[in-house]
Amino acid sequence: MSRARIAIVASLVIAFVIVAGVLVYANQSHGGQKVTIDVTVTKAGSMTPSDLTAHRNDTVTINIKSDTTGEVHLHGYDIPFDCVAGQTVSHTFTADKTGDFEIEWEETSTHLGHLVVTP
Amino acid sequence: MIPSIGILLHGFGQRYDLPISRYLYFVAAGFVVVISFVLVVVFAGEKIGEKAVQYPRRAVPWLTSLGRSPWPPAIGGVIGVLALAAVIVSGFLGSQKHPELNPAEYIVWIYFWAATVILSGLIGNLWYLLNPWAAIYDAASRFVPLRPAYRLPAIAVWPAVALYFSFACLELTSGMSNRPWIVALAALSYTCLTLAGMVLYGRDAWLEQCEAFTVLFRIVGRFGPVESERDESGRISAVYIRPWGVGLLKDPPVGWDRVVFVILMLSTLAFDGVIATPAWQDFDIALEPIWLPLGASGFFFIRTLGLVLLTVAFLLVFIAVMQAVLYFGSRKVDRKATVSAFALTLVPIALVYNAAHNYSYVMVQSQGIVPVLNDPLGLGWHLFPSVAGYTPSFALAQASTVWYAQVILIVLGHIVAVYLSHLRAGERFRTMQRALLSQYPMLILMVAYTWISLTILAAPTTTGG
Repeated sequence: MSRARIAIVASLVIAFVIVAGVLVYANQSHGGQKVTIDVTVTKAGSMTPSDLTAHRNDTVTINIKSDTTGEVHLHGYDIPFDCVAGQTVSHTFTADKTGDFEIEWEETSTHLGHLVVTP
Repeated sequence: MIPSIGILLHGFGQRYDLPISRYLYFVAAGFVVVISFVLVVVFAGEKIGEKAVQYPRRAVPWLTSLGRSPWPPAIGGVIGVLALAAVIVSGFLGSQKHPELNPAEYIVWIYFWAATVILSGLIGNLWYLLNPWAAIYDAASRFVPLRPAYRLPAIAVWPAVALYFSFACLELTSGMSNRPWIVALAALSYTCLTLAGMVLYGRDAWLEQCEAFTVLFRIVGRFGPVESERDESGRISAVYIRPWGVGLLKDPPVGWDRVVFVILMLSTLAFDGVIATPAWQDFDIALEPIWLPLGASGFFFIRTLGLVLLTVAFLLVFIAVMQAVLYFGSRKVDRKATVSAFALTLVPIALVYNAAHNYSYVMVQSQGIVPVLNDPLGLGWHLFPSVAGYTPSFALAQASTVWYAQVILIVLGHIVAVYLSHLRAGERFRTMQRALLSQYPMLILMVAYTWISLTILAAPTTTGG
């Protein structure tokens, strides 16, 4: 394999890596905001709204009101919401992890929704 | 409504991945096309004949000494046997209600199935060292003379194909891969089968033809940079370092069984991604009237059907492309040997997709076993109280890092695959023009596979995904 040929391919790959890197870091978060989300859980089986969103480094407050007593669990952040029927339970945290995190009714592992934290 | 068993992806556990952002997807997809044609043009006719598949390698004396030492296989064997024992014991006796608290799930689906495959591609065939069944057999044969009673019939590696497919079904289509006792039962059954097979048919014959993971890791290990040579007695005579991927050019084994095995590697990996997409969920829902009344077996049926259809589609496309390659190559060659040799050039695409697909699974979810070590059987023990409250770090798995790693892995794997295929064409078709012409259909196939990989990674995931 001649050096000139390797140089052509290597320079193309390096150009791609740089462009991809610039694109990734130029589109970083607009986070750092305060975000409050009110959700309602019905019959330990559904949640409204079911898709919650935030940006990285937002300060997120989730208020959950459930008609059933039990635990709603936010995976990834590993936050338990110990709900009491008819009352609102809140947690505030910094969204320092990006990803798609499932929210479950813990006792039955019933899927309720997601918290999507984007870069 | 889809039952809860429908949300399993990978073997168990949840994925936190976000789909690759659109701008990165388009940049990567466009670059794949550009680099493919640049590679073909730049390297056209560079090497022809046997010279094309010769590659540089360098002997490494200290690795040769290490290879000859009895310690690496002994240590690897002990690790493999302990891991197998841990899977069986914790799978049967540990937490069943919360698979995320059971070590069996972590060992099988993350440390073995995801991480060992990735590491074997990066380093070399680790299964040669870790295979617990070979270690048990070797230990037993020191005390009891073991002579095979039968000879395996001429069935090539078809038994390994069937067992690999069965394992893929356990992971992807059974809906039971997150039940620790099922994982333990599968491990125990496979242990009995493999040990009995080695005793009855001979250690090496069984491992080489029937033991699915030995066949798999030998293919994966070909991608790795470590190469060993053995003398007539089977003892390692030299260990070399070579560039990644070029081992796939060396003495390719011939047969449709080998081709199907490689295609299964591609299709099972793709299927793990496909079932997380809304398109698959729509397909699932459309066929609900057929499978829902059948319950869990209906779920198994529809998923297995999907896996079989995807595999058949991949195989048919590959065969059609190979017909075109042979037509444009226009030289009398051994068709089966040529098709088998070209199948191996697809391996880099499968391996990089596997690494990209499992990146955050290995980086983040693997850490979930740390707090479990405090009480591995869920009996209220406090073996390591200091790790009980450990929470996984996302330091290497923030979305932007994951996207960047995934896209670069996919593009690099594509470049290696196109280059290997180009060298193989030079070796088989012997003239620059024929080799160049034969590469256009293969190029289209590889671009298509890579686009599929990128598209799956860029697709939004559904429940649990």
